Amino acid sequence: MLKIIFLPAVLLILAYGLWVSPNFKEISSGIAIFMLGMLALEHGFKSFTGGTLERILKFSTDKVYKSIIFGALSTSIMQSSSLVSLLSISFLSAGLIGLSQAIGIVFGANLGTTTGAWLIAAYGLKIDIASYALPMLVFGVVFMFEKNRILQGLAFILIGIGFLFMGIDYMKTGFEAFKETIDLSTLSIGGFKGLLIFSGIGIFATVVMQSSHATLVLILTALAAGQISYENALALAIGANVGTTITAIIGSLSSNIEGKRLAGAHLIFNLVTGILAIVFIHQMVFLVEFISTEIGIEYDNYTLKLALFHTIFNLIGIVVMLPFVSKLVTFLERVLQAKADENELKFDVPLYLNAAVLSFPQSTKAAIIRETKHLYDNAFEIIANGLNMKKENIISELDMNEVAKRPYAKKIADVDALYNYKIKDIYGAIIDFATKAQANMSQNDIKELYRLKLANRDLVEAIKDTKHLQKNILKYASNPNKQIRDEYLNIKKNLAQLLRYLNTAATSEAQEDVVIALAKAKAHIEKNDLISNGVLDNLIRSQLITNQMATSLMNDSTYAFNIGKNLVSTAEMIYLTVNENPDNVHPDTALTHDNESVIL
Amino acid sequence: MGIKKIFKELVSSLSIENFELSKKKKSLKDLLKKLKKRRLKIYKSLKVDENETSKKEFQDEIEIISLQIQKGRKVLKLLSKK
Repeated sequence: MLKIIFLPAVLLILAYGLWVSPNFKEISSGIAIFMLGMLALEHGFKSFTGGTLERILKFSTDKVYKSIIFGALSTSIMQSSSLVSLLSISFLSAGLIGLSQAIGIVFGANLGTTTGAWLIAAYGLKIDIASYALPMLVFGVVFMFEKNRILQGLAFILIGIGFLFMGIDYMKTGFEAFKETIDLSTLSIGGFKGLLIFSGIGIFATVVMQSSHATLVLILTALAAGQISYENALALAIGANVGTTITAIIGSLSSNIEGKRLAGAHLIFNLVTGILAIVFIHQMVFLVEFISTEIGIEYDNYTLKLALFHTIFNLIGIVVMLPFVSKLVTFLERVLQAKADENELKFDVPLYLNAAVLSFPQSTKAAIIRETKHLYDNAFEIIANGLNMKKENIISELDMNEVAKRPYAKKIADVDALYNYKIKDIYGAIIDFATKAQANMSQNDIKELYRLKLANRDLVEAIKDTKHLQKNILKYASNPNKQIRDEYLNIKKNLAQLLRYLNTAATSEAQEDVVIALAKAKAHIEKNDLISNGVLDNLIRSQLITNQMATSLMNDSTYAFNIGKNLVSTAEMIYLTVNENPDNVHPDTALTHDNESVIL
Repeated sequence: MGIKKIFKELVSSLSIENFELSKKKKSLKDLLKKLKKRRLKIYKSLKVDENETSKKEFQDEIEIISLQIQKGRKVLKLLSKK
């Protein structure tokens, strides 16, 4: 209901203001141009840095203090905390960083945004900023028509900075002219009441404009023009800091549970910082005065003092919250839990593929690999159950004879139904996701995505072959002919052994264990292929089985062989993947067909 | 084209042009080291174990590991030539 009313109400107020007041028109267009500049800057940095930012993030966020430094530096350079937050949500959703590292980045990003206030207070309001804006816009537009990705990124950065400067200039002029009509400083409210009211206005303004940066620039320009008092400006800045979390929460509504937890952490941090700033406002103002004197800020330079105040209260927030990061993570994980799927027969859905992850190639690939592993786990279970064996027996230390003999259930597993419930939607989502992701990727990344798609297809083929194999495994399990009964039991045992090797590869942390397990699995498949190892020829020659049994056995041996090949090739793709972490296994160490022959 | 040239000069002045390659070599060397250690461990177990079945399994594993080490050395040689 609120959503339906909110936008039309804002539009009506804007339309009225634009109609009655030319100064309001100038200020609001200044804000609009400033925000357009921020979007262009964000877009520019995204295409300009490519995978560099993600690689830096991966290496620089293994400790919380490193995450804070990363968040602060990247936000200061890019002047956009939303891009940095988007990056952290993307990496968090893909499982590349933990929640505590992501929280560290958010803390740092909060500190980084204060540099914007410094730049505007120190230079933006004192010089003719618009004269720098126009050449930037001109060069930016020229570069925009270049095919080179780096030049295009540069184009958006120049356009972004140009619009930022232009927006500030419009707001500056607007407020100066506005003073002649209405002197807002006469509406100034002092004391604790004023602090709370103006903090509330700051929150509201930030929620409406969806940007604390824009609100802060508005506050600075209004303060420079004398439209608001210094005390009220401080309160507005506190409100802007809290209001930005509402934006993050609205953004997290469409993300997964990790994104929601990060938005929760952001809200808690900014609320705590805001409350501390309100409660200890006098002490903070005193600290600002003290530091201003020490670093040479003039007594009446309120814009620089506001920038200093903004930095100080964010810094104090970090110092206060830092010892509690692990407790915050525990709290968020307890309060915001993913909904558990109680009914096994419910459609299994993708767990790691969401829009936040699409923004960056590294996080996209990681998410697809994780989702493929999810699909692999489901396929493992379906294949085990389809062959009438229990997964927990296969992955245990139980003898293979026992594993093959102990049935999964009295009722035969419906492989088609299991495929529809546990595979189809996830497979479709992975293919769809990978196709969408290609638009933002380099050729090498696209090749890797193609290999991942093939790996997923191999998994689906393995399940389909299981369905074909299941029929005769059950049919010949109780056949009077001992030879055929034994051969089909061997097929089951061999597949169970293969699944055990693959489980070792999937669950091993040591890289050499993964390599050895996959090598064993490959050798095992070749060794137990009935056609190439001569067993089938022997049975036919010795007339131990009928012709009909021989053809069934030949076909089913091929199905078993293909199931093995497809599972191993998928496992190699997802468990032998090289990423930026040098501790991971080199893909060129997988066995080739010649190597397998040497072993056999 | 100018931007590419500047970027290349910057990369070479910072000596990071072979960063990917040196990372690959490092990960491969680490893997070979661990495989050799594993092989030695199995050799020792083989000497002690009396069971024929487990002896056969150990021998198979030693062969697989030896093959992997052989392959790894070839790949390392190729990477060193680049």
